[in-house]
Amino acid sequence: MSRAGRSALYWLALSPLILAILFPFAVMVSTAIRPRAEILVFPPVWLPQQIRLANFVDMWRAVGFGQALVNSILVSAGATALCLIIAIPAAYATSRMPFRGQRLFRQFLLVTQMLSPVVLVLGIFRLMVRMGLVDKLYALVLCYAAFNLAFAVWMLQAYFRTIPRELEEAAKLDGASAFQRLWLVFLPLAAPALGVTATFVFIYCWNEFVLALTLLRSNQNFTLTFQIFSLVGGRYAIEWDNVMAATLLASVPVAIVFASLQRYLVSGLALGAIK
Amino acid sequence: MNATRVAPVGGRRREGGMSIAPYILILPSLLLAFWIIGYPIWDLTDMSLHSVTRFGQLKDYSGLANFSKLIDEPLFLECLIRTLIWTFAVVGGTVLLSIPIALILADDFIGRHILRVIIMLPWAVSLTMSGIVWRWALNGQSGMVNATLYDFGAIREPVAWLATAGTAFPIEIAIGILVSIPFSVTVFLGGLSSLPREIFEAARIDGASGWQRWRFLTLPLLRPFINIVLVLNFIYVFNSFPLIWVMTQGDPANSTDILVTWLYKLAFRYGKLDIASALSIVMFLVLLAFTIVYAILAMRNERETA
Repeated sequence: MSRAGRSALYWLALSPLILAILFPFAVMVSTAIRPRAEILVFPPVWLPQQIRLANFVDMWRAVGFGQALVNSILVSAGATALCLIIAIPAAYATSRMPFRGQRLFRQFLLVTQMLSPVVLVLGIFRLMVRMGLVDKLYALVLCYAAFNLAFAVWMLQAYFRTIPRELEEAAKLDGASAFQRLWLVFLPLAAPALGVTATFVFIYCWNEFVLALTLLRSNQNFTLTFQIFSLVGGRYAIEWDNVMAATLLASVPVAIVFASLQRYLVSGLALGAIK
Repeated sequence: MNATRVAPVGGRRREGGMSIAPYILILPSLLLAFWIIGYPIWDLTDMSLHSVTRFGQLKDYSGLANFSKLIDEPLFLECLIRTLIWTFAVVGGTVLLSIPIALILADDFIGRHILRVIIMLPWAVSLTMSGIVWRWALNGQSGMVNATLYDFGAIREPVAWLATAGTAFPIEIAIGILVSIPFSVTVFLGGLSSLPREIFEAARIDGASGWQRWRFLTLPLLRPFINIVLVLNFIYVFNSFPLIWVMTQGDPANSTDILVTWLYKLAFRYGKLDIASALSIVMFLVLLAFTIVYAILAMRNERETA
């Protein structure tokens, strides 16, 4: 079969899937830009009579988007920083220094990786009550860092192994201390891996749902994901134009970053899990 | 003088081989994991073996009484069966669709890059956001699903997809499959690109048909990747909370509850902490078992590729 024929066949075969994937994006855009009067009608139409971009401005104020955005950034950045500070030494140890119990440590990490927070959420809630951290953003920072630790160590050690030892050995001969070798020689070389790992941890925190749902109480502390859910969950009158505008604004930037870095995630996962 | 004083230090370090440095480096990660993940497991285990008030105070040791209460709960069996249906349907559907998709995407054709980006899109959006958008799209009055079906004449009246017990769960399964495809396709693509080209060329020269090459070369070589995808997806889907919670919260009348959503209701809505802790432990053990299976599979692959 010719290349063109094969291409047409492939596109045709996957067209139902493509439609199903693009459908929610079309729904988001189509609802986010229409005036409220055109929302709850039957039969609904794809293209509104009037395009109303002012929805985004109204939504920003109506749903408290700014505050929730700040909360999400604080929690995600804090958790990412904590996670990396703890994961870097662990990944350095597992990739550079053979030690007794290394296998056990890796298996321990694997178990924590496979546990989803939802299975332990009652226990985590009780822990946070005991520490007085309910409705505090710190609680999320601690949990997110802990639940991403295994992933971060796994990703980092896979990359660390590819960095040649010779440079550190040369620095050692030049009299650099262990700390200087790590800080001045090794980490700059590992910067791309650190950046990629940090981005994925950040996105996990940004998207996390069940812990935010459980541990946050007052509106001014809600993260963006949870704030948008709270516009939908348990309400009788849902302002779908606001919800879709907020969803669009909250997920498209993250989606673009994720899509552009996704191939690193794959190579990291493949190195850690499959090879 | 100085040199002689320094030399033994270096020498001793080299002889010892085992230093405490790696243990100091992994210590912070162990502490954090034991604090935030280990302690809750211990606390839940402790709670599951005691009678508990609805405010979470532990009373007398009660052995396995909480576990037998869990089994006697009529919703337990219902949610367990639904969790199995949910998990097998989503994982099975995902794998069956992902293999042909990966085979297509691994081939050379016009627009391959753009198609890859499209297929990966659902992974880039959080499950919570996907759930919210689908909930609106399936809205009983004015959702765009109704709009589209109405335009094609498939329906005359609006259908309340998510408020009807018969349609809500199958729709959630379909959306579960849709959002699980990107990860599986990605792993399969990685697997396909690692297969040695030469043997396919050799098979072609020897006159093996396309079907024979697939059945006797691609499939067996892809086998380890299929195993990994099955186990990982099983773990993810079994635990999947946001999609169902956002779309239906397990309703109408618990007809879309799976174990995780029911567990959440037991703990934070119904205040049945005794049953909730027992269920948490049961689910923890199931996940532990699957993690062990995964570790064995991953290690076997490691040995084969090494």
